[in-house]
Amino acid sequence: MASEREPGFKFYVGIWIVMICIAGLEVILTYQHLPGRTFVGALLILAFVEGGIAIMYFMHMKYESPNLFWTLVPITIFVLFMLDHIWPDALRLARMNMFR
Amino acid sequence: MSETHAGTHAALMEASPFGIQSKKLAMWLFIASDAVTFGAVLFGYSFLRVGSLDWSYPFKFSPSIINAFIMTVILLTSSLTMLAGVFAAKAGNKARCLAWMGVTMLLGAIFAILHLREWFHMFDEGWGLFKNPLGGSADFGAGFFGITGLHLTHVVSGVIALAVVALGYNSGRLDKNHVETTSLYWHFVDFVWMFVFPIVYLMNAAR
Repeated sequence: MASEREPGFKFYVGIWIVMICIAGLEVILTYQHLPGRTFVGALLILAFVEGGIAIMYFMHMKYESPNLFWTLVPITIFVLFMLDHIWPDALRLARMNMFR
Repeated sequence: MSETHAGTHAALMEASPFGIQSKKLAMWLFIASDAVTFGAVLFGYSFLRVGSLDWSYPFKFSPSIINAFIMTVILLTSSLTMLAGVFAAKAGNKARCLAWMGVTMLLGAIFAILHLREWFHMFDEGWGLFKNPLGGSADFGAGFFGITGLHLTHVVSGVIALAVVALGYNSGRLDKNHVETTSLYWHFVDFVWMFVFPIVYLMNAAR
C-alpha cells in the first residue's frame, strides 16, 4: 500500500490540470513552425515530463518504497536505451548491408 | 503443534522488500515489460520514419489533431476518475468506488469509439496498413495502425479488466487492493498515450 504521506484528492485534480496544460502546450508548439530538431526535442521532453508525472503521482510511485523505484525504473530505462541503440542493426540486417 | 508450525513459518517468511502485496508487484513487473514492448514499436516506427525520404503528414488540425487532443483529455480524465475510485475504495465506500469505476469504463469506451471513428474515416480516405493515398511511404499506415491498434487493444482490455474487478468487488470476492492494482494498469494505458500523442499524431501534423 502507498504510505500515509499520500496527498488528498484535490492534489490529483491539480496534477490532472497540469497534464492537460502540457498536452495543450504540445499542440501549440506543433504550429509554431519550430526547426525540426527543436520541435522534436521539445515534444519529447514534454512527453517525458508528462509520463514522469503519470508514474510518480497517478501510479503512486512517489509514495511507494524507494526499493520499488530503484528496482524497476533504472533497468527499464536501460532496456529501452539498449533497444534504441541496437535497433539500427536490425534495419541494417533487413537491407543486407551487414558491413556498412 | 500446529501453532508451533505456524510460528516457525511466520518466522521464516520475510517481509516484502518493496512493502507491497505480491499482486501489485506482479502488476508493476507486467507494466515494466509492457513499457518495453511499446518502447520497441515506437523506436521501430521512429527509425522507419527517419529512414524514409517521402514521409506523409496527413493530420490536419481539424478534425484529426482536435480529435486526438479530445481523446487525450478523455484518457487523462479517466485516470482521475480511476483515482477517485481508489480513494473511495480505501475509504470503504463501495458504492462510490463502483460509480467512479463505471465512469472510468465509460470514458475508456468513448476513447475507443473516437479512435475507431478516426480509423474508419482514414479507411474511407484510402489509408490502410500498407496503403498511402498521398503517394508517400506506405510505412506510415503500418506504423500508425500498428501503434494505435496496440494501444487501443490495451484500452479495451483495460475496460474489460475494470468491469471484471468491479463485479468481483461488488460481490465481495475482491477487495480494495484489487481495485488499486487494476488502477495501475489503467494509468499505464494513459502513460503510454502521453508518448503516442506527440510521436504519432503531432509529429505527423500537416503544418
